[in-house]
Amino acid sequence: MIESFANFLQNTGFYALISTGPVDAIKTIIMIAIACILLYLAIVKKFEPLLLLPIAFGMLLSNLPMIKDSSAIMMHTEFFTDPQYMIEGKYIDVGYICRHGGLLDLLYLGVKLGIYPPLIFVGIGCMTDFGPLIANPKSILLGAAAQFGVFFTFVGALVLSALIPSINFGVKEAASIGIIGGADGPTAIYVTKSLAPALLPAIAVAAYSYMALIPVIQPPIMKLMTRKKDRMVVMEQLRTVSKTEKILFPIIVTIVVALIIPDAVSLVGCLMLGNLMKESGVVDRLSKMAQNELMNIITLFLGVTVGATATASSFLSAQTIGIIVLGLIAFCFSTVGGLFLGDIMCWLTKGKVNPLIGSAGVSAVPMAARVSQVVGQKENPANFLLMHAMGPNVAGVIGSAVAAGVFLAMFGNL
Amino acid sequence: MYSEALLTGKNLPLSEALAMGGETTLLGLAIVFAVLIILMLVLMLFKVVFYKDPSKQTVSVDTAKSVEPAAEIMENTTDEEELVAVLTAAVAASLNTSTYNLRIKSYRRTDNKMPAWNKAGVTETINNRF
Repeated sequence: MIESFANFLQNTGFYALISTGPVDAIKTIIMIAIACILLYLAIVKKFEPLLLLPIAFGMLLSNLPMIKDSSAIMMHTEFFTDPQYMIEGKYIDVGYICRHGGLLDLLYLGVKLGIYPPLIFVGIGCMTDFGPLIANPKSILLGAAAQFGVFFTFVGALVLSALIPSINFGVKEAASIGIIGGADGPTAIYVTKSLAPALLPAIAVAAYSYMALIPVIQPPIMKLMTRKKDRMVVMEQLRTVSKTEKILFPIIVTIVVALIIPDAVSLVGCLMLGNLMKESGVVDRLSKMAQNELMNIITLFLGVTVGATATASSFLSAQTIGIIVLGLIAFCFSTVGGLFLGDIMCWLTKGKVNPLIGSAGVSAVPMAARVSQVVGQKENPANFLLMHAMGPNVAGVIGSAVAAGVFLAMFGNL
Repeated sequence: MYSEALLTGKNLPLSEALAMGGETTLLGLAIVFAVLIILMLVLMLFKVVFYKDPSKQTVSVDTAKSVEPAAEIMENTTDEEELVAVLTAAVAASLNTSTYNLRIKSYRRTDNKMPAWNKAGVTETINNRF
């Protein structure tokens, strides 16, 4: 009787918390506190709650105090990062994970094997209208210019690593941090799980938090980078786009991207598959399924498991602070890049292009386009930039996926 | 191919960080622009192949001629006073005041073809989700 009660006590979280020693116990408590703060941001402040809530709860689940080797542990990050558990010290051992892993380990395989982000892109493709982009092809360049922040931050991460001894970012880590500037969650996760899996939770949290903060981050930069006269520019109404064009577009984009940067095809190809399902109109059921049920299910799996990879040892470090700072820089400079080209286009067309649509070149569909609309309307209440901003906005999704492909091609095989 | 310092980030000299960063930035941005410029050219081709400008279509010329005078007559016969009355009432309703407190000095049609209530709805939706 007493023995079984003692056994029960040794299995409790309290015992696990006390038995780990004071330093680890404090770390565990800090991690749970961070998870609770993120939950607060998701629930009360409504920062991308669809993702931040599962991420925060996943973080909570994997940081609960558990005794070592307990069968109740849901997530073993070491299975995915520690060479000891891997085949030849390099490849994850799926069989071992299936036999010994918890629920979150099994779900995390979808991230690690690169399944979830492309599937989310199918759903995004079903919800995206490339019409404004087809109607105004020049706006696609703004989506390219807004990738400036991605590369600028890549440099920034390497420089930070050179200047501060306690922060060590190699090229792979720098690329994963830079891609935060693409303002595209699934793309950032896709790159990071391949190049720098240890940074995944910090990068995912930074990417989604800053995406939610776009209405706060962008407007001051937009005002700084543009002249009032240009902000008031009313753009010509977009031409109508035929169904044939909308159907051909996804097919051609997939082929062009595959020819130049094959590493981007798993993302761009899935995005275009979803878009073709929507535009063709012949697979209505699939399109509805992809943008609702499939996307919701994957979002839940992705969020919970990415959050669960946030362990005290990987998350509580100077590197995480570095990532948070660099992520903000990435967002700012992506906005700057888009606005800069917007200004040039405004000047070249002698005031036919409103430079404010440039900031929508960072992906974050449709939030960034809404910001352009709202800032533009403040200057000129009769101005409707929303559809004009949607062009660069959806181009940004393609642009950031191509930038991701560039990084994967350069550093994926190191 | 890359030095140990570049791979791990340990003891990375600043000069090497900047050189690697600059190189990647130039190459990366060039590739991103190249892909998107090709897509832009394809889209421009789309316009040439698929798009017929309705204002340049020959069919519409006849109808346009017959419609235009009718429209002019319509505008001329529109009762100015009635329009001003409607505008006054609308402004009074939205400002929550009486029509006696208002005087419409001038009115002007804005460029946007979207009806005002439609516009108000769109603005409200955007602000709600902002």
